[in-house]
Amino acid sequence: MTENLPVQSQTTDVAVASDTTTQFITFYMGKHFFGMPIDLVIEINKNLNITSTPLAPDYVLGVVNLRGHILTAIHLARRIGLDYTPPEGIAFHNIIMGNREEPISLLVERIGDVISVPTADIEPPPDLLAGIDIRYVKNVCKLPGKLLVIMNTDALQSVSNN
Amino acid sequence: MGMEQDILKDFLSEAKENLELLDQQFVELEQDPENAELIKSIFRTIHTIKGTSGFFGFTTLEAIAHFAEDILSKLRDGVIKVTEDIATMLLKAVDYIKAIVASLEQTGKEPTDLVYLDFVVDLRNFAEKVTKGQPATASSKSTPPPKAAAPAPEPKTESQAATPETLAPETPPLEAQAAAVFKPQPEQAATHEPKAPEPPAPSETKQPAAGPPPAAPQMTETHVRVDVQLLDNLMNLAGELVLSRNRLAQLAGYINNPELMAANQHMSLIVTELQEQIMKTRMQPIGNVFNKFPRIVRDLAKNAQKQVQLHIEGAETELDRSIIEVIKDPLTHMVRNSIDHGIEAPEIRVQKDKDPVGTLTMRAYHEGGQVIIEIEDDGAGIDPNKIRRKAVEKGLLTAEQANALSDRDALLLIFQPGFSTAEKVTNISGRGVGMDVVKTNIEKIGGTVELQSTVNMGSVVKIKIPLTLAIIPALIVRCAEERYAIPQVNLVELVHLSPEAVSRDVQLIGNAEFYRLRGQILPLVRLREVLHLPAETGNEESGLEIVVLNSGERQFGLVVDNINDSEEIVVKPLGRHLKHLRCYAGTTLMGDGRAALILDIVGIASMLHLKADEALKKAKAATAVATGEEEKQFLLLFTVAPDEFFAIPLALVNRLDKINIHQLEHVAGKEVVQYRNRSMPIIRLENYLPIAPLPEQDEYNLLVFHVNGRDIACLVSKIEDSINISVNIEEENFKQEGMIGSAIIKDRTTIFLDIYQIINTYDPNFFAKITETESMAAQVLLAEDSNFYRNILTSYLNAAGLNVTAVEDGQKAWELLQNEHFDIVITDIEMPNMTGLELTRKIKEDPATRDLPVIAVTSLSGEEDRKRGIQAGVDDYQPKLDRDLVLRAVERLLKIRLQNAA
Repeated sequence: MTENLPVQSQTTDVAVASDTTTQFITFYMGKHFFGMPIDLVIEINKNLNITSTPLAPDYVLGVVNLRGHILTAIHLARRIGLDYTPPEGIAFHNIIMGNREEPISLLVERIGDVISVPTADIEPPPDLLAGIDIRYVKNVCKLPGKLLVIMNTDALQSVSNN
Repeated sequence: MGMEQDILKDFLSEAKENLELLDQQFVELEQDPENAELIKSIFRTIHTIKGTSGFFGFTTLEAIAHFAEDILSKLRDGVIKVTEDIATMLLKAVDYIKAIVASLEQTGKEPTDLVYLDFVVDLRNFAEKVTKGQPATASSKSTPPPKAAAPAPEPKTESQAATPETLAPETPPLEAQAAAVFKPQPEQAATHEPKAPEPPAPSETKQPAAGPPPAAPQMTETHVRVDVQLLDNLMNLAGELVLSRNRLAQLAGYINNPELMAANQHMSLIVTELQEQIMKTRMQPIGNVFNKFPRIVRDLAKNAQKQVQLHIEGAETELDRSIIEVIKDPLTHMVRNSIDHGIEAPEIRVQKDKDPVGTLTMRAYHEGGQVIIEIEDDGAGIDPNKIRRKAVEKGLLTAEQANALSDRDALLLIFQPGFSTAEKVTNISGRGVGMDVVKTNIEKIGGTVELQSTVNMGSVVKIKIPLTLAIIPALIVRCAEERYAIPQVNLVELVHLSPEAVSRDVQLIGNAEFYRLRGQILPLVRLREVLHLPAETGNEESGLEIVVLNSGERQFGLVVDNINDSEEIVVKPLGRHLKHLRCYAGTTLMGDGRAALILDIVGIASMLHLKADEALKKAKAATAVATGEEEKQFLLLFTVAPDEFFAIPLALVNRLDKINIHQLEHVAGKEVVQYRNRSMPIIRLENYLPIAPLPEQDEYNLLVFHVNGRDIACLVSKIEDSINISVNIEEENFKQEGMIGSAIIKDRTTIFLDIYQIINTYDPNFFAKITETESMAAQVLLAEDSNFYRNILTSYLNAAGLNVTAVEDGQKAWELLQNEHFDIVITDIEMPNMTGLELTRKIKEDPATRDLPVIAVTSLSGEEDRKRGIQAGVDDYQPKLDRDLVLRAVERLLKIRLQNAA
């Protein structure tokens, strides 16, 4: 039906655009390119001091203080099983995300742009994705020259069974 | 009184909320007169107000609510329909109620103004007409004046407010009286009613009544419901503000501008105040919990067919909201216990000459920054003997162990899991899943539970809990570049050990380290090991920092890198990814804005199996026969060849170490190893004992003994364990050179070695002979009831060249002294038949033996024992397992004796 009304769609262009695209915060870990819906991100912070937490699961790098809230800092690469060696002297960026009751700080190497992706281009993840535990991948989106891996934020936050 | 005030406060704040709602609902009702739900809701609200005001004795308020309720009940039952008049009258009633509530809030009393009484009369008349079913006409007649004033309820204009004041004094007292009579007995009022003819009376009285309540005090909102989350956020922000302030203060000090300093100081004060105030928002009176108990006590008493009177004291004591939640269940449990096991049935109480009504007191107060809650009853108390019996019955203790317990310690048994002294299990309590849970819950929040009880007088359970969980005093320590907070409640003392003290007093047993702190063996735990952090490098030279901690009843020493300072810390919970870690109790923020972890001492102790009842369990697990008379001691268990077990008192061993096979050297027919830059002789036990030889291993364990200023070591295969038990050694089967005897430890026959004899066999010259200079060996009389200690003492005294005659109690020693000659007496203190102190007194009183030197030896080295010994006349007092000290004392006393004789 909509194909019959090409002219009229002009007027509602803006509204349709927001309906059919999703905005993602993007970030890098090594050569991998990740994203998560912008509304799940509370804020982005650089250089929060990490206090190490011995005996914690290996994906927990420590705890950080965000204006009086103490958040668990989760090392993205270790969390999703990525083989990753951080560059010398790296200061991770903190993506503060998740539910507001108990947000987590996701540690990533570099923050990318905020991008809008047509919803139609978002695909279910393949069965295998090089070096990434597929449980943490919700969707993928093929962009020119690279693949955007869209994170399963629930899985990132939950306490894993293993 | 305090509790009543609280209820009043609650009532007022609730009433205000409801009244606001009523306004709205009446307006809705006018538009939708058939809405039954709405009427019911209004009815309920008015009904509640009536009930509560009756409870407090607010008669005017009650009367207004009563008549309004009358009208509403008819509306509800559908007898009459809502008309504008009725709505107006009811709204007016709401206005009056509001005014009274406001007055109650300000003065705590109802307004005495007669206007209110006038309105009561008015309302009553109106209600009667309405309920008689002639609403339209009657109400319209009586309402014109109020109707004129009807729009007024909201705008409380000055002029109208003024009129009633002038008119009020003139209003006939009749109404006042009538109103006063109405309240208790509305029926009676009906008879008065005709006397006050409607048409004329209203005209006089309506006017004041029609106006809104006189100079109605404004209703002020004193209570606001706030989301707890919001308060917590405020707390966090206030904490952050404190940190920012600290940084600012540093900068200000740096810039050193007086104006900036002043401004900063001012802000500093405000921030501190702000934080304190926000802290207060978390505090609640303990009455919130206590209030529930009158009912609980009543029900429990009834079930148990007992008479109990509950006294509540200090309900206004405030403590943190989170703590109030935690203590609710433990308190209930203890109250149950008191009623069920404590307070006796009335008949029994009468027999005991007590008031048939038992008294239960719940008391709360502040003391030294803590909140103390006491639950006291005047019941039967707890009989320590009953507890001992029970403990034996349940197999928690042997009869001997139970009898050895002091009454105080026996009482503590009720906090053991699976313990209940109730003769019969009732539906209230007695299933034995209680006091231990109470204790754990209280300890979890950093509190303690104490129990005092006197048979037939009653019991007091005293709970001490911190004022708040949110802020606790803590010791900050450093370990591997991070800071950790240790809650002060667990802290006993701090010990710094110099490197010399470390090598002298710290013993390595396998992987475990022990430190001898004033005669007590204190297990040491390295925080780095607990947290699986790499061992500290190159810091051994600076000694050890030990934080002595108490986890329940067991103490242990936590070795940390550095000890910083004590601080008040704000406790924050751990995220869900970290919650499962037992070694942390939470997180906190440090002054520099970094997060730090709070150590959970009880958690760490349990990770290390150091739990308070561990010793008790171990004693049970080890099938070694506990004799009760034997003192407990730490034993080291090891093997030379597999499956052949040996034991030696830990106190005799100086150090444990490991060596590689290549480190063993053979020099002049002797095996030695380089140890601390000296050659240390090595003993292979199989050369001196009929045991299986030590198999070839890459790595051996060394038991290092330090005797006579020299080191000597035994080469063994494996260190099995160290264990703290009391054992009874059988001498029959393994009595021979180098062995003291055997005992069953952990289901295995274990041979006790006589290490002094072995060393003496290895090298008869190893020990300096005390009497070498004398022509003959000195005669020693040894009195010691434990065959284990008797053998060890005999062994090292013999090895030192003394002639030892050993007996097992003071009585035998005394008999022997009558016939034989001795040069010195060495005696244990605690012995059957005649104790060491009695023996000493006898020796010192008898002229024949008065000059005989006496050394008391004991495994206890308390100052108290020492004093008692010296009072009894002993010449010296030494720990029995410290060979060097005992021998030195013997030597000194013998020398004096010789000089005296000469």
